Amino acid sequence: SDTTSNPRVQEQMARRYDSSTTTFSPEGRLHQVEYAIEAINNAGTCVGILSKSGIVLASERRVTSGLLAPAKTSDKTYKLANHAACCVAGLTADANILIDQSRLRSGRYQHQYCEPIPIEQLVEHVCNYKQSYTQYGGLRPFGVSFLFAGYDDVHGYQLYQSDPSGNYSGWKATVIGANNSAGKSLLKNEYDPDGDGTMPDMATALKLAVKVLNKTMDSATTSTSAEKMELFTMTRDAGGECVHKILTKSEVQRFVDEVAAEAEASGSGGAGESTQ
Amino acid sequence: MSILEYNGAAMIAMAGDECIAIAADRRLGVQYQTVSCEFQKLFQINDKTFVGLAGLATDVQTVAQTLKFRNDLYELREDRKMTPKVFSSQLSALLYEKRFGPFFVEPIVAGLDASNKPYLSGMDLIGAPCFPDDYVVSGTCTANLHGMCETLYRPGLGPDELFETISQALLAGVDRDALSGWGAIVHVITKDGVTTRELKGRMD
Repeated sequence: SDTTSNPRVQEQMARRYDSSTTTFSPEGRLHQVEYAIEAINNAGTCVGILSKSGIVLASERRVTSGLLAPAKTSDKTYKLANHAACCVAGLTADANILIDQSRLRSGRYQHQYCEPIPIEQLVEHVCNYKQSYTQYGGLRPFGVSFLFAGYDDVHGYQLYQSDPSGNYSGWKATVIGANNSAGKSLLKNEYDPDGDGTMPDMATALKLAVKVLNKTMDSATTSTSAEKMELFTMTRDAGGECVHKILTKSEVQRFVDEVAAEAEASGSGGAGESTQ
Repeated sequence: MSILEYNGAAMIAMAGDECIAIAADRRLGVQYQTVSCEFQKLFQINDKTFVGLAGLATDVQTVAQTLKFRNDLYELREDRKMTPKVFSSQLSALLYEKRFGPFFVEPIVAGLDASNKPYLSGMDLIGAPCFPDDYVVSGTCTANLHGMCETLYRPGLGPDELFETISQALLAGVDRDALSGWGAIVHVITKDGVTTRELKGRMD
């Protein structure tokens, strides 16, 4: 009989090929990279949504202990350049290295060309760096996925997702981290409900981000505390300069309340949510 | 011919009462030939810090770009603005890194610290700093500028008086130097913001 279709046997065979990143398995997979990607599915959720006039990055704040000193700025969202920011899902220590790398790359580009780095180039640089840890021996991959948000004159507002393999893709809206598939299915239905290619405005995008976080954080209740959410927006001011803003607690609360009110008004808590 | 006198420059920074002024000429020359009257030698680092770079024009521009790079990185990593003192230390370190193949610039740094107290520093091309509390000068006519500043400077001037003083010192200083002049620009920095004025001087 064909032993390789037996999952038990596959598992055992995988074990022979999964201790080194630089070895393909017989099925042509890099198990170490896949395990790294799995690690991120346990991390705090991040949502990214492109709107007409900017980008929303929303993150789940996971506070593991009440004794922890509050973060001075954020441990999810980071500024990379005047025109670029990212949010992190995964190992924070790994993320710090990559964030510093991207800040250096952005600065060096600006130094050389006297122009801000185009967003895709910045993303590609970070991703190439991540990829090199999947091909050259002795090093494990970075256990981090990013959502990159940025603006450049070439392509306007852009949202990119990257994972430990060094792969990246551009999105109109996406989710990474815990329960990302539930979040993505919500976005699929609600990001562009008419399917006509129109982008939401900032307020709608913020509310949608809150909805997604409600769903991914704890799908048994209709809304979760504003304290656990971090909402970040990138827009441009009248002079064309990018504005990075992490919303205050009361601003977040406002959106959480609006989403809760809309949910009540429409009668149900949204697809897939159970009510007591 | 000294390499530091190839392009020509004249600049002054002065301290006043919770304000500073920094001024420079605008000439870019290739020895005796004037090429531009709009060359930028003063660079704003943040709301409260300016740097003036006198010397070889290519190094003026390269050092300015490098300082911007380093300042941007500092602000991203530390999530705060650089104080003039820290900026000056960094500039000094940057210049000394090139001790045996230096940048041909002699900078002056002027700013207001966190409590809006004036900060001045000037250094040579390998980063040796001095920290006077009245004025600093740099360029191809420093003897002239020192003479004018020593004569005209008084401590505790307000923004408008400081502007008048620094402008007169610069304009008189550059007139006896063939390599500097051809326009001048003055920035006055107070806790409320920066005022920039262009001076009308002899265009020769």
